[in-house]
This record gives sequence, C-alpha cells and structure tokens, in this order.
Amino acid sequence: MDPQNMQSTRSPLARAIGLGSAKEGVGPWWAERVSAVALVPLTLWFAASTIAHIDSDYATVIVWLKMPLTAVMMILLLIALFYHTALGLQVVIEDYVHSATKFAAVIAVRLGCCAFVTAGIVAIVRITLSSSE
Amino acid sequence: MIIKSSDQVPRVTLLKRFPLPRNFGVSSESRIKQGRTWPAPAGAVRVKPFEIYRYEPDSGENPRLDTFQVDLDDCGPMVLDALIWIKNKIDSTLTFRRSCREGVCGSCAMNIDGTNWLACTRFISDLGTPATIYPLANMRVIKDLVPDLTHVFAQYTMIEPWLQSKTPEPVRERLQSAEERSKIDGYYECILCFCCTSGCPSHWWNGDRFLGPAVLLQAWRWLTDSRDEAKEGRLDNLEDPFRLYRCHTILNCTRTCPKGLNPGKAIAEIKKTMIERRS
Amino acid sequence: MVSHPTTARPRPLSPNVQIYRPQLTSVLSILNRITGILLSACAVFLVVWLVAVARGPQAYAPVQAAIASWIGRIALFGATFAFFLHLCGGIRHLVWDTVHGFELRSIYISGWTVVATSVVLTVAAWAASASMGG
Repeated sequence: MDPQNMQSTRSPLARAIGLGSAKEGVGPWWAERVSAVALVPLTLWFAASTIAHIDSDYATVIVWLKMPLTAVMMILLLIALFYHTALGLQVVIEDYVHSATKFAAVIAVRLGCCAFVTAGIVAIVRITLSSSE
Repeated sequence: MIIKSSDQVPRVTLLKRFPLPRNFGVSSESRIKQGRTWPAPAGAVRVKPFEIYRYEPDSGENPRLDTFQVDLDDCGPMVLDALIWIKNKIDSTLTFRRSCREGVCGSCAMNIDGTNWLACTRFISDLGTPATIYPLANMRVIKDLVPDLTHVFAQYTMIEPWLQSKTPEPVRERLQSAEERSKIDGYYECILCFCCTSGCPSHWWNGDRFLGPAVLLQAWRWLTDSRDEAKEGRLDNLEDPFRLYRCHTILNCTRTCPKGLNPGKAIAEIKKTMIERRS
Repeated sequence: MVSHPTTARPRPLSPNVQIYRPQLTSVLSILNRITGILLSACAVFLVVWLVAVARGPQAYAPVQAAIASWIGRIALFGATFAFFLHLCGGIRHLVWDTVHGFELRSIYISGWTVVATSVVLTVAAWAASASMGG
C-alpha cells in the first residue's frame, strides 16, 4: 500500500484521493466514547466487587449474583464492555491489517463479541432464575 | 521529566530508540548496511562523532551509515552548520535540503537523535555522542537526507488549502474581527516541514490514506477561518475512518513540532466539530 | 517535485520505529492499546467465569482453582494493573476529546499522573483484597 514506489501512471493527487471520503466515521468514534464513559463506573463497581469476593466460596458468589442489582449491573457491564471491545479491536485490526483478511477479522471480532455477550447474559439470567440451593 | 515546550530537549534518556534490531521488519531495498568512517581532520581538538544516513541512488547499493568526526571549533553551533562543514571539508557528496538557516522555511527537517526537528534550530551541544542523523522517518529517500515529499504534498492539495467562497468578492477587504482572526493563531504559522507527519506512528502504518497531523492542522486552519464558506464540503471530505479517524491522539506530533504548534489539538477540534454538526 | 525514481530501483524507506525516540506520548499510547487488547481477553474470561458459575459447583471448581493458583494470581495482578492503566489512560483520552489539556506541559503532567495513579490503585486494590480475608 505504498503510493510512492509503485511504478504507476496515476498522479500523486489521484493516489492521495484514493476512493474518496467515506463521508462517515464519526458514528463508531462517538460510540466508543459513550461506551467508555459508561464503562468507568461499571468497571469500578466490578473491580470493587471482585476485591470483596476474591476468595469467596461458590455459595457466597451465587448469593451475590442472584441479587437483582448485581444482575442488572453485570448485564450492563457485559453490553458496554463488548461494545467497546468490538469497536476498539476493529480499529486495531484496521490499523495493522491491510489485506483482505482485514474484513474477515473484523467480522470475526464483531460476531465473536455478539456471541460472548449473549452467552454472558444467558448465564446471568440462568443464575438469577435458578432455585436457591 | 516534564516537557514545558517542544524545544525543550529531552534530558533524561532511558532509550534513544526502541531496542529493536537495526533492520527490523525492513524491506530489502531499505536495509541499512555499515558505512565508511571518515577520520577527524588533523589538529582538531574538540571533535564530535556524527552518524549520518547515506543513500546513493545511482550506486545500486543499499543505504549505509557513515561516521564523521566534526571539528566543533571550526563550525557553527547548529546541526545544519555541522552538515555544511562536513560537505565543505570532508565529503562534498553529502546531500540535504536547506534554505533560510533560521527555522522558518522547513527545508532542513530531519530526524536528529531520534526525534524530528529542523537542523538549523537544533544545537549540536544538545545531541548525544555519537549524534545520529537520519532523514525524516518513514519517507521514501531520494538521496542521503532528502525525503520524497510528493505524497504528503498531494494530501495537502487534497484538502484544498485556499479560501473558498460563494459570496461575490467584496469591493475592498473581506472583513474579519480581531477575535475571528485570533482563531487561526497557532495554525497559520505552519511551515509544512512535515516533522509531525513523519513522526506519527499512525501515518507510518496508514500513511497512504491517513492525512497526518500537518495536513489536518491546515484543514483546521481553513475550517476555523471565518472568511471561508466551504465548511460543509471540507468536513465531508475529512469525515472518513482513515483520512481523519486514524488519529488516536498519540501526540508525537505536538511533542516534535519545531515551531511549537499543536496539531493534536487541531485534530481534536476537527473531531469535536464532527460531533457538533450532527447533534 | 520528483515522483518517480530515475532508475528502476525502488527508493528505500527511511527507518521509522527502528530509530525514533520512545517518548512519553508514544509509549503511553501504545500501552493503552496493549492493555486494551489484554482486557479484551479478560472480557472473554469474564464470560467463561459467568458460564462456569451458572453451570453449578462442579463446573465452577476448576475455574476457582485456576484463579487461586499462583499462575492465576500473577495473571490477575497483571490484569489489575492493565485495567487501571487503561482506565486512567482512557479518562485522559476522554479529557482530550473535550479539547482540554493539549499544552505540552499538561500532556506530560497528565501522562505521569496516569502512570502513578495506576500503580497506586493497583497496589491499593490488592492491599484491600488481602486485608478483606484473601
């Protein structure tokens, strides 16, 4: 993707213009910032909870997770976290991958994040609805 | 540890360059090989070694690193003086761009001791031993320290850096208040030396599509000029995941600008304008 | 403006990352990216943990054992430091997005503050966890 060493008859201006402006790009940038703002309190809550429960046994963890507040915060955390992750990883891939693999990688990241967030939410719902032991 | 202005030379040097092999990830025509060592002139007392990148396009050889011993008592205080001394006294084939020798034309921009700066405003006494002189980073090299700026100037042309208006020309001046005029302060002074663009890692990896700090700073200069009437077209032209949004606020640009300008801030203003125009 | 080399030989590219001086600006930025990627892996592990909890105590036991092992502890410590670095760095980025703090002096002060705060918060978090009975 080096515009200057290719023996090309295209003018430098044409090479700089490329395919023209996409006229969009502010959407993902803004979404990354909004999810980042959401993640500040959510991750701090999660970090504090982890510190409190680092060596709790299974029963204590289940009791904590079954609380409605915990379930809500966890679900919000998962959504914001994977949304932010998908956007961030897409930017990283676009930065470093310049072949057709880029599109496959971006699709894999987006779909993977969808899969993981769904699995996480289903797990939380299962925990919340499970009968107390 | 705290840098107050861009001409403050880093005093604490943990690393002058990342501990990567000299030719890490470099294509075959760009690999640097060991070069000549030129002896110090007879009778020189204060001598400083300079390692300088050399490339001879007609020789068919790869670039090399020559070492010169510069007599500090025989040449001026600036790095450009040392280069001219070497060209006059030691090796007349050393090739570099220069013009004003006072930091206003932008010709002598090069990588000195790991950071991009103008050779004519960098003191020799601020350099390490040996001093390392490379061309502007990540540029195609025409010869020695002369980079090929065709692509970055094409990117500059692309943002249409001239006043555009649909309103008919006024009889006399286009009026602009002092406050409106102050909005382009800090942006119009750019001398297009491309130190910032050449120091931007994002431009290293995506320079074919990312415009880079110099061009984006000029884009903001025209966006914020109250006399310009083409803001809509300019913003549409910039709103692109690569042209503008490859900037990740790394801020090597602001750190390295030899005129003390702030491209990082200009780009942040553009991004803020992008949000404001759709909210 | 010369756009084509006079000979057929392609022009060499001047070195970039091989010779450019590491500065607080570029180093903190790449650390923010590296910690972000590491935290993406941690997000996946969070889901693995939740699924293990949902599946019952038998499925949860190996996960809990892995976290309690010394490798798990080291990984958790690293993850904590990565998390606080990315959090503080991220807040620094959010401040920049409001077009504040772009003077070089502010950039350097905020940069060192991010590093110091991350270290302090990591140590504080682990101290709090140790004192709570871990």
